[in-house]
Amino acid sequence: MTIRDKHADAVVVGSGAGGGVVAKELSEAGLKVVLLERGGWAHYAAHGDDELTAQRSFPLEAFFGPDNERYRRVAVDRQGNERVVLPNDWAYQNNAACVGSGTVSYGAMAWRFMREDFTMRSTYGDIAGSTLADWPISYDELEPHYEKAEWEIGVAGDDDQNPFAPPRKKPHPMPPFPHTEESKVLEKAAKTLGYHPFPIPMLRNSVPYDNRPACVHVRNCVGFACPVDAKNGTQNTVIPKAIATGNCELRIHAQVTHVLMNDSGKATGVRYIDKEDQEHIQSADIIVLSASATETPRLLLNSRNRLHPHGIGNRYDWVGRNLQGHAYCGADGLFGEELFNRDGPGATIAIADFVHNNPGITGGAVLCNEFIKLPYAYSSGFRPPGSKSWGRAHKEFQKRNYMRNVSIRGPVQEVPNFESRVEVSDSVRDYWEMPVARISGFKLDEDIKTARFIADKAQKWLEAAGATEVWQSIPGTGVSGSQHQSGTCRMGDDPQTSVTDRYGRVHDVDNLFIADGSLHVTNGGFNPVLTIMALGYRVSEYIVKEWQAGNRF
Amino acid sequence: MDNRAEGMERFSRRQFLKVSAIWAGGTWVIGMPALQGKSFTVLSEQEAVIMDALADTIIPPDEEYVGGREAMVTRFLDQQLGRYGYLQREKERYHTCLPALNRSSLNRFGELFTELDEEARTAHLTEIEAGLHDSGALENGWGEYSPSAFFRLVRDHCMMGFYGSPQHGGNKHFVSFRMLGLT
Repeated sequence: MTIRDKHADAVVVGSGAGGGVVAKELSEAGLKVVLLERGGWAHYAAHGDDELTAQRSFPLEAFFGPDNERYRRVAVDRQGNERVVLPNDWAYQNNAACVGSGTVSYGAMAWRFMREDFTMRSTYGDIAGSTLADWPISYDELEPHYEKAEWEIGVAGDDDQNPFAPPRKKPHPMPPFPHTEESKVLEKAAKTLGYHPFPIPMLRNSVPYDNRPACVHVRNCVGFACPVDAKNGTQNTVIPKAIATGNCELRIHAQVTHVLMNDSGKATGVRYIDKEDQEHIQSADIIVLSASATETPRLLLNSRNRLHPHGIGNRYDWVGRNLQGHAYCGADGLFGEELFNRDGPGATIAIADFVHNNPGITGGAVLCNEFIKLPYAYSSGFRPPGSKSWGRAHKEFQKRNYMRNVSIRGPVQEVPNFESRVEVSDSVRDYWEMPVARISGFKLDEDIKTARFIADKAQKWLEAAGATEVWQSIPGTGVSGSQHQSGTCRMGDDPQTSVTDRYGRVHDVDNLFIADGSLHVTNGGFNPVLTIMALGYRVSEYIVKEWQAGNRF
Repeated sequence: MDNRAEGMERFSRRQFLKVSAIWAGGTWVIGMPALQGKSFTVLSEQEAVIMDALADTIIPPDEEYVGGREAMVTRFLDQQLGRYGYLQREKERYHTCLPALNRSSLNRFGELFTELDEEARTAHLTEIEAGLHDSGALENGWGEYSPSAFFRLVRDHCMMGFYGSPQHGGNKHFVSFRMLGLT
């Protein structure tokens, strides 16, 4: 027996960086909104400081979701071998499943992409084997939405110290975080090299903001919920504001399985299953998918119907294509003195000297000092190649070097390719009997070349800072995704080479929108969350404008 | 008598003789080196003794900080194998591989793994890690499992038990956090 929920003006699927923003914007404009989230609330009090279940590595279980009982994916390796993977397996490419999604536990770096990040194709030309393209919108078109995200969700930063920052109309709403001991050493070294160091902009309160307190610098920050609620995600900013309008109903533990369509090609709502395994149909005039760059394409592909036999929006086979994360690279150094002063989250300093304009290189990356290394994570990484991974020498290394290790990392912009993709499995189904996501693909050689270039810069930085031993970290050629997953429903002006238009509307379905990382044509040389939030504001602005003009789609 | 039966007999005899006295909470307690044995839910007492030897080889004790055994890595593992969670599906692998590992040192050293000193245990695990015991694993009691893959798994689980939060049964008295300078 299916329950037909009361009709809404809009239904939003997913409450992360994109969906949380859309729910607030639409409900503030007077639309009746239902926000569906597959997970529940994830509070600090219920989790605490447990590294083994936190969002950075979760060998025991993923506290922030999804659970291992009901979720599966299929991972395909370079040789084409398929493997069923659970959410705590790295190959699952996990992001969180809770109210606020990844924004509850993220590191909260708040980057605006640079101008060139929107024009990669015209800047770098054709790259062999890639589907590289410009975005249909420019930085300047997104700028007002970046500003709104910074002020409504809350960012601490100071672009005056970053000569490579794209132009902005208003400063960040909060002052930047001070440098740690480690960052001060790195700042001095960067300046001697002629680099331009500056404080990392953060979606965290450097001073009390929006009725929540300032950051208290706990060690367990990235991967954890904040004990004092000073880290700004959608769960403690836009979502409560959406609910406070009286126009937005948040329904948790709601697993959406289908987008429903009528015979005239209009989306009519979604089908979802609640916590008691009860089936619901939520009808709405407007449907917004913000389920992530893996789950949004999966939902479109699983919703195939008579008019869309290969999946909604998939007439030209672009849904799920161009999956990108980042080709993370960098260097680690050991210092004579202990530079680690225990102040969380640790990452405070960056340089943007090598994000673009690197001769002979496609793109690049911002370089930042790494977040605090957690004890279990440090036991297996962060040591020179060939180091013993157990035994007496390993323990001695731990004791001697934990406080003397400094890491620099950069998210190298991956050049998108058509074969890195999300499909739906023809054999494996989840708890709700739905075909699971099947993830396959690779990084292009071009990305590894860029990563080597960037890692070299990181190494030089650490050497200039006085590290006595330095080694590089170069990514493998496997497909990326995980917390920076993007690109699988790219926006574009040509319906034959993209999935949505420049406002995130699926090309052949007038009332179906996407607002998450799926839209990214390219993923920037930066952590992508502020761009996902800005796109949420942009998509919402378009919907609201049309709605207020009387368009009922 | 084949290696296996001989091993088991020797194992029992040696363990019986190895009863030791331990100072615990203001009183002397007489018992097995793996004190916690009886309270385990998944691992048998014998498996726990083997696991203790593994934990103390992978993370050895030193003058300053206890090793994996006293940090209760075995208790961590037993809890994780027994509760709903990601490690539970490794239960059978442990039941098969711990006894196989214990016997695997007989040919080379003439003693069970648990009877070797740290240097010999380290030498033996280095060979297993390098895959030198992978061929013929089936005949040697490893079942369907690869000895080197089992070692990689145990190594990782020992690190979890030693460096993870004490709430999971290991990292007793926050030993690793103190060792790294975090508390």
